[in-house]
Amino acid sequence: MTPSPGTGRGPAHRLEATVSRVLKVGTYAGIGLIALGVLLMVVDGRSPLDVAPSLDPGRLPADLAALRPSAFLWLGVLLVLATPPARVLAALIGYLRGSEREMAIVAALILVVIALGVVAGTTGS
Amino acid sequence: MEIGLLLIAGGIATGLFGSLLGLGGGVLLVPLLTLGFDLPVREAVGVSLVCVIITSAASATVFLDRGVANLRLGMVLELFTAIGALVGGTIAFLLDERFLAGLFSLLLVYTAVTMLRPRGRAVAGEGAAAEGDPADAQPQTSRTRLGDAMSGGTYRARNPIAGAVGGVGGGVMSALLGIGGGLVMVPVMHVVMRVPLRVATATSNFMIGVTASTSAIVYLMRGGIDPYATGPAAIGVFVGAAVGSRIAHRVDVGVLRLLFAAVLSYTAFLMARRALGVQ
Repeated sequence: MTPSPGTGRGPAHRLEATVSRVLKVGTYAGIGLIALGVLLMVVDGRSPLDVAPSLDPGRLPADLAALRPSAFLWLGVLLVLATPPARVLAALIGYLRGSEREMAIVAALILVVIALGVVAGTTGS
Repeated sequence: MEIGLLLIAGGIATGLFGSLLGLGGGVLLVPLLTLGFDLPVREAVGVSLVCVIITSAASATVFLDRGVANLRLGMVLELFTAIGALVGGTIAFLLDERFLAGLFSLLLVYTAVTMLRPRGRAVAGEGAAAEGDPADAQPQTSRTRLGDAMSGGTYRARNPIAGAVGGVGGGVMSALLGIGGGLVMVPVMHVVMRVPLRVATATSNFMIGVTASTSAIVYLMRGGIDPYATGPAAIGVFVGAAVGSRIAHRVDVGVLRLLFAAVLSYTAFLMARRALGVQ
């Protein structure tokens, strides 16, 4: 049986393994940061229904250093949200290396749509 | 503090039963947050989208490692689910909360009905294209390189345009309701595109990350994600889903499906009351 482009072994499988690795690292790092944030919420006596500070990327390093729960939660959420685009980027690089022009275009277009999400969110906020 | 522990426990239950019953976490989590913790529907959807990304990413890695998910098919379709998610994420902020609650109520009714259908008959009745099915030897899709890339070794993805349209619809639903979109994408891939059910399920799971991430970014930028509510819910759902996937093969879910069909129907009633403004 001929290996399938989508499910076979060899170069295609190496790309899937890379994509899988990106997903694993991003997800577990994100959930680890969120777990730390939840632990700090408990220590701080915060309730999930409290009003949380809005995301301010400029203040994140200082808030992380001060062990503020919201900083760890925000960083974890950002990492979780960035993981799927990161695996699309990993696939794009793999397709470019493998000279799969059509799939590289598809991956690039997905990244464009995600970037448009940032624009849509910013302009509407 | 107690509320935080309750939210973690609720998340665990949501992840556990979602995993055992093959439901995305969002179908159970959004009503839990809305009806149990009195979060606005839109805020509950934002929390749910983050949780859905985490659980789908964790299981997608297993499907990819086992070679079950079709990476190329998933990426072509997620271009369209992402477009739908972008549109859905944008219009979600224009819609009335009560309309979203009403829409969710309909989703719950649909899910409850789906759970009552015998699983084997449902698959056979949908014209399953099992791997090695002789019907799959008759290519009906365009013989482009992209079409070839989307197909597997023993099956050929058909009707790509219908699949793309379905993808946009799945993305809109995901963004509006905080669900993964599997309820739409598995039937689209399996019934319309004639992809084997096992591959359709795994590929749909893989696609959820990009779909939910696109709309979650819109929610994030518009202040629709609350980190204090998201944290405990995400930890709970992650733990519950991990336990559920480990014990799923040892649990007879027949009775559980009946029980949850009843629970979902009652939840649909409560969401409908919220939609109608009846407290």
